[in-house]
Amino acid sequence: MSDELSENIMTYLQRLLPLLSSLLLLFLSYVPMDFLLFGDIRPAMAIVCVYFWMIHRPDIFNLLSVYFLGLVDDIISNVPFGTNIFTLLVLYLLISNLSRFLSGKPFIITWYGFAIIALVVLFTKWLVLSIYYAQFLPLSIVGFSFMVTAAAYPFISLVLAFVQNNLIADEEL
Amino acid sequence: MKRRKSLFMHLSNIRLLAKKFALALLFLSAFVLMLVNKTDTAIIEKTSSVATDALSPMIDILVIPARAVADVYDYLKELKQIHQENQELRQENRKLLQAKDRAQALEIENRILSRLLNYVTPPEAKFITARVIAEEGDAFSHSLIAYTGDAKGVRKGQVVLSNRGVVGRIEQVGKLYSKIILITDINSKIPVMVERTRVRGILTGDNTPTPKMVFIPLEAELTVGDRIVTSGVAGVFPAGLPIGKISSIEKNNVKIKTFTNLERLEYVKIVDYGL
Repeated sequence: MSDELSENIMTYLQRLLPLLSSLLLLFLSYVPMDFLLFGDIRPAMAIVCVYFWMIHRPDIFNLLSVYFLGLVDDIISNVPFGTNIFTLLVLYLLISNLSRFLSGKPFIITWYGFAIIALVVLFTKWLVLSIYYAQFLPLSIVGFSFMVTAAAYPFISLVLAFVQNNLIADEEL
Repeated sequence: MKRRKSLFMHLSNIRLLAKKFALALLFLSAFVLMLVNKTDTAIIEKTSSVATDALSPMIDILVIPARAVADVYDYLKELKQIHQENQELRQENRKLLQAKDRAQALEIENRILSRLLNYVTPPEAKFITARVIAEEGDAFSHSLIAYTGDAKGVRKGQVVLSNRGVVGRIEQVGKLYSKIILITDINSKIPVMVERTRVRGILTGDNTPTPKMVFIPLEAELTVGDRIVTSGVAGVFPAGLPIGKISSIEKNNVKIKTFTNLERLEYVKIVDYGL
């Protein structure tokens, strides 16, 4: 009985790992780091995490996980409340419709797909906030932010792949 | 068999419909949250403060190892410069000692003249030094979270300084953590003036590292390198706090380079001027 219970708890924790690892990386992206190469521009961590988990483990990273991650990002960030949720929901919608072209493909294709989707999502965020503030935000910095995010994807996905391969059991579990 | 198959298809259709409905509902909730935020109600602010208080300790834990890595990096980087910096500091110290003597003399003179004019001195500023635990500075927002809050007497609107000048103001106060909006953020608007000519304007952030000065009189004389300080208009910031220097002047676009490197703040000073 106790074995069964501990097994159930382990399974439950494993199913939570994509969200927990995403939250950890999201928190890390807000930590002040003086040694960053690109000054204060950091990769859009939530976008990377949602993309990775929705491509590789859509069975345990669902709509509510995406919403929760957006909510946490909204709490830490100073953008108007709801903006990050909205952006990540757009990302969810895009990946839900495009995942069949991206999942199971070689890494370079996944990365290429990420770059295109991240560009659309960051542009959506830029548009939403420009409408909200009734003035255009600097597009050059959005472009720079996109480049940093796209360049960081292989490194962040390496961390997430480690979590997936070593800490989460297969789908059949 | 056929019946079972149709039942299964029916169920999967319902599931798909529920998923679409949930997505639409969540989109709507995000939209509503943004609308409520736009109307600037206290609900969002209060909820956000409580939530920031709950989440910030988790970031705070991560600061310690990150800071250790940063310290090692800084140590190696700065090792080369230490000797030269030391000589410069000795020279600067000599100048500062002279300036201190002059300042003391001026303070005494000021006290005597104030007494003669029956001048009421403003209350002395109180300040709190706080550690920065989170920073954000992309195209969408420029802010910090500092480890100090309501319990230490921090209030919304208080001025945040570094040792070089104005950094921003307090935007949200939780029990233990506070959110600071930087002067480079799009929501930041501060009344400022050119120190040399006393020309007034508004310093407005645009989410770039160099905020701009707007609402400057047409006939104003400005030159690159002019110091910009707070003007004290509107009573939120006291007059004379250093902000930065004019870095470029183009048609309708006066850019300011801040004295403080806003990307490298470990500690900030939150000042209550009693305004």
